[in-house]
Amino acid sequence: MNAPSRIGAVMALDRLVHEPARLLILAVLVNAREVEFGFLEQVSGLSKGNLSSHVGKLEAGGLVEVKKSFRGKRPLTELRITAAGRKALADYRQSLAMVVQELPAPGVAAKRK
Amino acid sequence: MREKLDELESLTREYARYSRSAGGLSSVLGGACCLLAYLLGGLLPPTPALRIVLVALPLTWLLARRGMERHYYQRFGHVEEQEGAVERRTHRLCIGAALLVAVSVTVSALSHGARLSMGVVAYLALAWLLVLAGWRWLRSPLDFVVGTFLFCQAAVSCAGFAYPVMGTVAAGLDPPMALLALLFPLAALLLIARGVADHRRFRPLCERLLQLRGKAGAA
Repeated sequence: MNAPSRIGAVMALDRLVHEPARLLILAVLVNAREVEFGFLEQVSGLSKGNLSSHVGKLEAGGLVEVKKSFRGKRPLTELRITAAGRKALADYRQSLAMVVQELPAPGVAAKRK
Repeated sequence: MREKLDELESLTREYARYSRSAGGLSSVLGGACCLLAYLLGGLLPPTPALRIVLVALPLTWLLARRGMERHYYQRFGHVEEQEGAVERRTHRLCIGAALLVAVSVTVSALSHGARLSMGVVAYLALAWLLVLAGWRWLRSPLDFVVGTFLFCQAAVSCAGFAYPVMGTVAAGLDPPMALLALLFPLAALLLIARGVADHRRFRPLCERLLQLRGKAGAA
């Protein structure tokens, strides 16, 4: 793969998934049937607001489903990855692996210069 | 980044096990209840007090299981485990068998014109409760076997019977049933061993999750 096509491949990565926080959310959700918001907060290290914002973007993109309810008087938010979300994550992983595989080793890049 | 994602995925899978397939200390409790039900039902005369104890055992186990899941093993938030195709099929098969038994005992009780005494009503109620409990809470085969025994022992005790314990006079009268009933305490021992192993696995998982929170706080 030459440099322009490598750049093209990087640019073609799904930006919705590529953002580290959203990638992390999807990586957690893909390994469970349903995940409570509190667990995501625990493992991601993100603030509630930040996490909500990323979840909102993923929901708008149709990659996750958000279910809001109450447990007693406590609000409860549960998330689930959709079939489109699973596919997007799998595609992203495949594309990223291809991009990384095609990258020249640092020594090779220096010699070319 | 890749390593962090891999670790998160593995932590999530491991933590999610405690919502379905791993019971930890509640499995130990379930096994102990099963052994207790087997011995009490088979060795003691069927008094009303014993019936109450035998009916209370499966209900206590299910309540304790739910409480421990929510307040101990899933304390960082509920994460439900994904069910594989094999597990789903096995679970459906178990529920199907329990449903078949519940329907057949109900039809048998109603069609033979048996007088619907309190004992018969309790027997039928427990048979149907097993279907509900199996569908909702007894997700692994071992949980299902132990749960089935607890409900069956409670149900038959309401009708004035009990599964015979090996080496007793009752076992001599019905050796095949005594042999079959011996499977349940063996399953209980397996469940206890699995519960202890799951509980040991939970402690490092819990520490790792607490470390993640610590890191997040420091950041």
